[in-house]
Amino acid sequence: MRAGPAALAALALAAPVAGCGGGEPRGATVLAASSLAGAFTALAPDARMSFAGSDRLAFQVEQGAPADVIATADPAILRRLAGRGLVGPPRVFARNRLVVVVPRANPAGVRTVGDLARPGVAVVVGDPGVPVGAYAREALRRLGIAGPVLANVVSEETDAAAVAAKVALGEADAGIVYRTDARPVAARVRVVPVPARAQPQIAYAAAVVTRPPVRPDGEAFLRRLTGPEGRAVLRRHGFAAP
Amino acid sequence: MRHLFSAVAAACLAALLAFLLLPVAAVLIRVPPGSAWWGEVALDALRVTLLTSLVANLVFLLLGTPAAYLVATRRFRGRALVVTLLEVPLVLPPAVAGIGLLVAFGRAGILGGELSALGLEIPFTRLAVVLAVVFVAAPLYVRQAVAAFEAVDAEVLAAARTLGAGPFRVFRRVALPMAAGGLAAGWALAFARGIGEFGATIIFAGSLQGVTQTLPLAIYAQFEQDLDTALAIGGLLIAFSLLLLFTAKMVPGWTRLRSTSTSTSRAGTSA
Repeated sequence: MRAGPAALAALALAAPVAGCGGGEPRGATVLAASSLAGAFTALAPDARMSFAGSDRLAFQVEQGAPADVIATADPAILRRLAGRGLVGPPRVFARNRLVVVVPRANPAGVRTVGDLARPGVAVVVGDPGVPVGAYAREALRRLGIAGPVLANVVSEETDAAAVAAKVALGEADAGIVYRTDARPVAARVRVVPVPARAQPQIAYAAAVVTRPPVRPDGEAFLRRLTGPEGRAVLRRHGFAAP
Repeated sequence: MRHLFSAVAAACLAALLAFLLLPVAAVLIRVPPGSAWWGEVALDALRVTLLTSLVANLVFLLLGTPAAYLVATRRFRGRALVVTLLEVPLVLPPAVAGIGLLVAFGRAGILGGELSALGLEIPFTRLAVVLAVVFVAAPLYVRQAVAAFEAVDAEVLAAARTLGAGPFRVFRRVALPMAAGGLAAGWALAFARGIGEFGATIIFAGSLQGVTQTLPLAIYAQFEQDLDTALAIGGLLIAFSLLLLFTAKMVPGWTRLRSTSTSTSRAGTSA
């Protein structure tokens, strides 16, 4: 009774990553946190990539999505998968920082993180269940403004790119995202720094998916990612070294 | 040869039915027993969904019914075009509808300036959810309503007018009761579509528990955090949709029985 629905779910989840080529596989199939989209596509244009929130990616691996590599914005997620034998040992390959983005016109006049606590500022953050949302709450707690800022939250998005998009469109007054998410929308937003004392440890980790058949492409991609070429591309896209 | 074709067609039907119903059955089979999943997320989402659907249904029933009546009973230039334009949202991908609503009614949208002058900021509010639901559900209702009003015998309406009934009275006392079955069917389908609205809502209204997070949005948010809750909400939505679908199929049947009897009696008197 369980095998049938699970197989169907796996099929449905496989569709977006498998693409529609149907020919010989070229390069690795990579599931990656949406904040990695720019860097990963630049690093390996021939790989097949599927970007989503880290928890969604973990769920896809749990459901048997045919991927070679998974890269998440939270090493704990990969440690959990590794503990269940679904992925190999996770390797931390980059770090990130939180920033506040506001629309270029800055309608709410946000100059510091503290301004997010002012009544009436429409704030967008990630859902508490996804890393970008959990990190944002952690930073706000460290600054002692979690209460008033979370009261200003008008939407909880399921990944960082969606938060940035809502701000870039000018529909929200401010959003808390990774520094790297501000880059693709740089023309439409201003960046307000989050003080160092409030910064959570944001590490990106990647691991090879151990579901057979394990293809060498996954390991090759990881080597490239953690090697000098990967470092350079990641730095160019605003990530810090591990 | 004929037998072969029938057999192939029957096999196609069976394959299609199995494919269409298996996912529905799978959700129902996997819904966790008990009610532990029935937590705050699901309850809040149910509240938001019912409230916004109620308002949205009122809006499209009140606007859609007279509009459909006009289109169904009058012949005017460009009528076919109007009917087609009313159906545009039906063929739009919901994500396009969401972006469209955002750039039309959002703060930075085409009407953004006018709306904020009125003190209205729509995105991320319940009003945004209502607008998204109206946008996707109203065309479905209007299309069915036009068909329902077109099925009303024009001569009956003409007779009512000859007997001195004004246009509003003809609409309310004659056309509305006679089309009631078809209207209810259309409403049930549009209601179901509105309850399930996802794409336009998540883009235009965002997702915030207790405010704009409807049942489908709660499924999406819970999907990777708590699959049991997502499945349970899915089961609830399936039950609700099936109820509405069967309503849509049954109600015209009941009223048709009644209208058949009236048309026989009419035939009897004219004979």
